[in-house]
Amino acid sequence: MNKKCLATAIVCTLMVLAAYFAWQFVFFEYETNVYTTTAEQLFTIDHLTKLVPLLIIGLLTAIGIVACIAVRDHLMRRDTLRGSFATRAPSSKGRVRSRRVSAFMVVRWVCMVGFFVLMVFGGVLLGERYSWISIPVLSCPANMSQLTEASCYYLAHLEELADLPLMGVMVFVASTLGFVLVLGRVLCGFACPMGLAQDVMHKIRQATKVEGIAMTERMYQALVPIRWVMLLLMIGLSFVGGNFCNFCPAIALTPVAAGLSVSLYASGFLMVFVLIASFFKRRFFCTICPLGYLMGLAHSVQPFRIKKDCTACTECGACYEACPMGIKQLYTEREQTDVTDISCIMCGECVRCCPEDRALSLTLFGKDTYVSKRSRVVEGYRR
Amino acid sequence: MAYADVAQEQREEQREQRRRRRFATKSMHMTQKYLRRMRDLGGTLEQMEPFFNALERIYVQGLDVERPRSTKTVGTYCVQIPQELVYAAGARPVKLCSGHYTAFSIGDDVVARDACPLVKAIAGFEHMGTLPLYENCSLMVVPITCDCKKRIAGLLKEKWPVHPLYVPANREDEDIEHYVDDLYQLMHVVSHVTGQDVTHESLANAFNLTGHAQYELSRFLRIKRTTPNLLYGTHAMAVMNASSYLDAGVWASAMGALNDELERRARANELVTRKDLPRIMLTGSPIVFPNLKIPLLIEEAGGVVVADETCMGERGMSDPVVPVDASFDGLMRSLAIRSLRPCPCPTFADNSQRIYRLRQMVRDYHVEGVIYHVLRGCLVYDYEFRLVEEELESMGIPVIRLESDYTDQDVEQLRIRSEAFVETIKLKKGPLKANRG
Repeated sequence: MNKKCLATAIVCTLMVLAAYFAWQFVFFEYETNVYTTTAEQLFTIDHLTKLVPLLIIGLLTAIGIVACIAVRDHLMRRDTLRGSFATRAPSSKGRVRSRRVSAFMVVRWVCMVGFFVLMVFGGVLLGERYSWISIPVLSCPANMSQLTEASCYYLAHLEELADLPLMGVMVFVASTLGFVLVLGRVLCGFACPMGLAQDVMHKIRQATKVEGIAMTERMYQALVPIRWVMLLLMIGLSFVGGNFCNFCPAIALTPVAAGLSVSLYASGFLMVFVLIASFFKRRFFCTICPLGYLMGLAHSVQPFRIKKDCTACTECGACYEACPMGIKQLYTEREQTDVTDISCIMCGECVRCCPEDRALSLTLFGKDTYVSKRSRVVEGYRR
Repeated sequence: MAYADVAQEQREEQREQRRRRRFATKSMHMTQKYLRRMRDLGGTLEQMEPFFNALERIYVQGLDVERPRSTKTVGTYCVQIPQELVYAAGARPVKLCSGHYTAFSIGDDVVARDACPLVKAIAGFEHMGTLPLYENCSLMVVPITCDCKKRIAGLLKEKWPVHPLYVPANREDEDIEHYVDDLYQLMHVVSHVTGQDVTHESLANAFNLTGHAQYELSRFLRIKRTTPNLLYGTHAMAVMNASSYLDAGVWASAMGALNDELERRARANELVTRKDLPRIMLTGSPIVFPNLKIPLLIEEAGGVVVADETCMGERGMSDPVVPVDASFDGLMRSLAIRSLRPCPCPTFADNSQRIYRLRQMVRDYHVEGVIYHVLRGCLVYDYEFRLVEEELESMGIPVIRLESDYTDQDVEQLRIRSEAFVETIKLKKGPLKANRG
């Protein structure tokens, strides 16, 4: 287990070093940045050539993942227990019969993909009438043609917020706070483009059946200081003359997909790091995301909640194993019926995997929207 | 002089052989008696025959489990050994926990006086060597769940290859990691015995095989919950016990047929007993075929065993494996997690989850009384009685502790106590209903 983490850490360190040298790269640095796009430009040759950075990121990610697996296999080869599995290619034929697809998951994926499209071309497709709204997701506001504004820009540049007219400040605060209070981290699970990219990486790993990294409680705790540093960088960097957006991996996703000429600096390589990490550990970036942490702060008043029937729970820990955020109280809680956690992104995985009838449920304003069922877990095995 | 020695040896040999023959006949009669009592209860369905036949095949006909000649059997004990691993290595898992009185009487002289009867029965079969189910095992996997199991692992080693499996006392993340390693180890041991590697494909197939059984069991439990009194609890326990000696696929198909019939009867409202009989839940030490005297006594006294929280019964299989990650390691992890986390076995230091499970079962099955079964010498379950009693009394559910041994001698005493218990519940439910009974 530790060797697997070590291997990934080695490769990721190499990637981060590469990111440092990328500071000097001129490839992703344009003479003048263009922040908008028009309908005529979409899907032209020019647009497609602007996608090259995404291709390079994808390629580097693939190289990184293959390198991780190779290093890991090499380290594991002498392991008497699991060594024989290190070299063996995973069989593609073996398949545990999957569960039924639930409506909740379909809705979630439709939301994620739909929102991704809107955050890339929304301004072009629907006009820029919504661009006064600030929505707190990591969808880079460098893309001026996206449907709405993203709150992260002013959060990372607080001193610029002070320069705005009073009305602008109020609209920003009101819309951001509104989203945080009403939806909170539901946005992470349903809307965030970074979340979609990471979930896609997870799906690829599930399809190829490559071994991932199962995080333990200790490892999650080790990530907490990293999250604090990220938060500090995001809020504070602008006050000392830095720019968080030069590091933020989100800039390498939606603006590039929209075909904008945006300088990526280190972000492109950090994006590679994020994609590799989320390949081996589902939604890795979400566990250290500073914006997500701020949104989670209001978790005790949000209308979306995870409820638990503590008697029906058998403490089987399937929810904990499935939870991408490593929320342990899902199965250890024995007193309270509300197990919504500050880091919960409402992805519904715990409810999907829970084998006990009505033990876990996702509720909206106290109404059950997604309830755990034994039949959902075992139905796939029916002959 | 030498001649006399040889004659002496021959006489010894003959005596030993007679002893074995007597043992085989006696144990056959004992099993037959319990199968007969089970049938005499009434309400058996045609669809239960495959299960009863499986039990009869092992203990009355003295045959091994039905399987292709080349398939090796791996004996397992307790519920912490993932059957999927054994199937994936191309072997057949059989559960060897025993409830046999005749074997117990032999084992009584072999192992420590205060050891539990379950282990004495195992030792008895080991000592006599007449049961093909035991004799043909290529490997035995013994989880170290209590002191008796630890000692029996050493005893069995004299005759069979034995792999003891360490079961941690806690279920924290670190314990799960260790257990995953232990399961990898077990996988190598089983593969070595069968000469067949465990691959992702074979493991996934094994998951689908046991998953099918899991699906049918979930159906069975749902039917039992929603329509009570469709079948006797004793029969349900025999059906669960038969899973130890049947291939998971065969058991699942037989279970599917039984479920279909039960669903039909539920629709037609064909119940085996009156609806207002006292509803009893059975919990505590394992109840292994043919030691079905406790459920038999309860149901003969006019109660119904509606819920069964014993590890050779419904509890042993009721928690499904939930594969979360599709990789090989992910499957192994799901096996390890399933073996430790939901298991309400008192071998774990903190077992408060069992209390919640009992509460849930009381709620699900509308239980009116609980019989806490303790095998003599089964300390781990005896320890938990106090906690269970306190909890159930706070819920207003009467509970008694029945201590029994693998012998017919305590039957009358147990009968008096269980009859009295059933009567008290009847009285509590109201004199009107009691009079009608």
